[in-house]
Amino acid sequence: MKSILLRMGELFLKGENRGMFENMLISNIRKKLEGLNYKLQRTRGRIMITDFDEQQEVVERLTKVFGLVSLSVAEEVDATVENIEQYVSTIKIGAKTFKVDVNRADKRFPVSSMEFAADLGGVILDANSNASVELYHPEVIVCVDIRNNGKAYIFDKVIKCQGGLPLSTSGRALLLLSGGIDSPVAGYMMAKRGLKLHAIHFYSYPYTSQQAKQKVITLAQQLCEYVDDIKLHCISFTKVQEEIHAKCAPEFMITIMRRIMMRVAEIIAKREDLGAIVTGESLGQVASQTMQSMTVTEDALESLPIFRPCIGLDKEDIVKIAKEIGTFETSILPYEDCCTVFLPKNPVIKPKLAKARSEEANLDVEALVNECIAGEEVIHIKSY
Amino acid sequence: MIYLDNAATTKMCEEALKEYEYFSCSNFYNPSAIYLPAIKVGVALDEARARLKKCLGAKKGDIIFTSGATESNNLAIRGSQREGKWEYVFSSGEHASVYNLANALKQEGKTVHFVPLNKGGEIDYEALEKLLTPKTRVVSVMFVNNVTGVINDIKRISQIVRQNAPSAILHVDGVQAFCKLKFSLDELDVDLFSLSAHKFHGPKGAGALYVKNKAALKNLVFGGGQEYGIRSGTENVPAIMGMVKAAEVIDVGANFEKVKCLKAAFLQELCGDEKIKFVGENASPYIAMMLFEGVNGETLTRALEEKVIVGRGSACSAKKAGNHVLSAMGFNLGQIKGAIRVSFDASLTMEQVVEAAKIIKTTYLQLLEKLK
Repeated sequence: MKSILLRMGELFLKGENRGMFENMLISNIRKKLEGLNYKLQRTRGRIMITDFDEQQEVVERLTKVFGLVSLSVAEEVDATVENIEQYVSTIKIGAKTFKVDVNRADKRFPVSSMEFAADLGGVILDANSNASVELYHPEVIVCVDIRNNGKAYIFDKVIKCQGGLPLSTSGRALLLLSGGIDSPVAGYMMAKRGLKLHAIHFYSYPYTSQQAKQKVITLAQQLCEYVDDIKLHCISFTKVQEEIHAKCAPEFMITIMRRIMMRVAEIIAKREDLGAIVTGESLGQVASQTMQSMTVTEDALESLPIFRPCIGLDKEDIVKIAKEIGTFETSILPYEDCCTVFLPKNPVIKPKLAKARSEEANLDVEALVNECIAGEEVIHIKSY
Repeated sequence: MIYLDNAATTKMCEEALKEYEYFSCSNFYNPSAIYLPAIKVGVALDEARARLKKCLGAKKGDIIFTSGATESNNLAIRGSQREGKWEYVFSSGEHASVYNLANALKQEGKTVHFVPLNKGGEIDYEALEKLLTPKTRVVSVMFVNNVTGVINDIKRISQIVRQNAPSAILHVDGVQAFCKLKFSLDELDVDLFSLSAHKFHGPKGAGALYVKNKAALKNLVFGGGQEYGIRSGTENVPAIMGMVKAAEVIDVGANFEKVKCLKAAFLQELCGDEKIKFVGENASPYIAMMLFEGVNGETLTRALEEKVIVGRGSACSAKKAGNHVLSAMGFNLGQIKGAIRVSFDASLTMEQVVEAAKIIKTTYLQLLEKLK
């Protein structure tokens, strides 16, 4: 019978809180496997999935659960020497070198781990004449785990999972989702550290298109592969941009725009009980992402912190993650987002806070922010 | 909401819908089957060919039913292509289904010539003449340009082709002309002619290729040998029957006169502002192409959306930046950015058209003010 052994990473570091983390992880696994047949067993720091029908689907879904480091599909046999030898003799080693690791939790098992490993190595050699044993750098490791329940678990592949912390164990935050490459990556990275996400999107119809908004919905759907569901707050930003364009110095267009975005985001975050704002900013990538610009932007927030997981990443690194999580192709669809509307020729790169504030004084910021909130559209997005 | 994007697609007419339903639900048999009800469908299909030929003013030749004009255009050109050092001649204003195929032929190493457009948007007839040789295999020119509405003189083109390229096959993409302009294919003397049902109130997913000499056309797909072996695959009978019915019920002459008045009134309402430029001379009354200075046509389209629906040139390539037709007419990217295409239908009233023109003008001026 096949079983899937799940390995948890950092959860071991969590001391007193470990139970909470494990419970959350298990609840997330159950959510992820919804609709499939399986049994989940939890024994002494080990989670095991058994009695499943669709192995590939189960494995695929589990690789997207944060908090799992890796998994192995193991064969479960009754823990007798004969049974184990019999199964091991059927293993095809698809490599030149291998070794056998035996872990004997059940000390009643008659042969010592070392001896048994050597014995099983012989069995495998008999069946795979092209392979040889290599103890230090083997290409394949055949693991035999003899447990106290009278069962042995045998596997030779370790499938990498996401790692990180179980979703929701770090709280909840609001992701600024623009439609570009960086923001979905930022969302993924923070979700991986245990943050459950809401997202906020600013659009400027008719300057931006319906397709641009649809693209953000698609990106949110793609993120849901990892975060189950997202509440997407869509905010019409047309009026704000027109007002800034009409009343403020053109080089401050983006600076002031982003300050107002932050204010709107903070109000929604607080209303929804979200503890931080997440952005895809990367230091120096564009004019609004210089240290000075970010300082001026952040000044608009009352109390919430901004998390910028991409801050130290090069574009290439961000693209790499975007490709891995499957958002890249959508992100590069050529629809303008609201940041490219009314784009000044020479945006200020090192804005001064005082100047930004005085430019902003030309606007009725509170009224604009309230109008944004009043026109909010909420879309509940779930993974497919 | 006033719909002015009839060159992109039209509403299906009642008569076509009835035919569609009848051949979907009652008389739904496979026209290639051998039992009586199926044979009757096959007969109806063959009658439909004859009926469509009548609408086209073609006594000779055959009709091959296709899925639409993109397929017809591809079949016409690819099906006429031959091994050897043949040359292929296209106008620079062709629809993407011809233009992109022409570029593909070029990439495959074929000799491909693009005939420039004159300032008015018509094909440059002298340039065409110079590019034709006895080695010319295919000449493909559209009848009415889908972006500008400009009408090419097909009769003149066919004469030029016959005189200068005796081996050439003349293909005409007639999508924006059929059921809109009065013409007879026999008089025009073309070899291949493409049309698409949903542009004249027929269903989507049906089209046809008129073929003067089907022996000269090669099949692109293999299968059961339907459509004289040139286009295998069970025919989309409901859509085809709907298409032919739609073509028959249209009063081309009366519609033409009405739409001519509609367009004149529309242009009258919008003229006088030097920031709005009308493109194309000798254009079909069904299409009006305009360039709005200082705004993005995409933004204007969306700003209008709730009240007036307009197009941008070609719905088939609306998502791509730029426009090769307007470029070929000598407009720069800045001008092309402000392009809006309005396309009419005889079902519109004069009031609607005038109202739409007023809305377009006001919305444009408001947008211009905001962007100042």
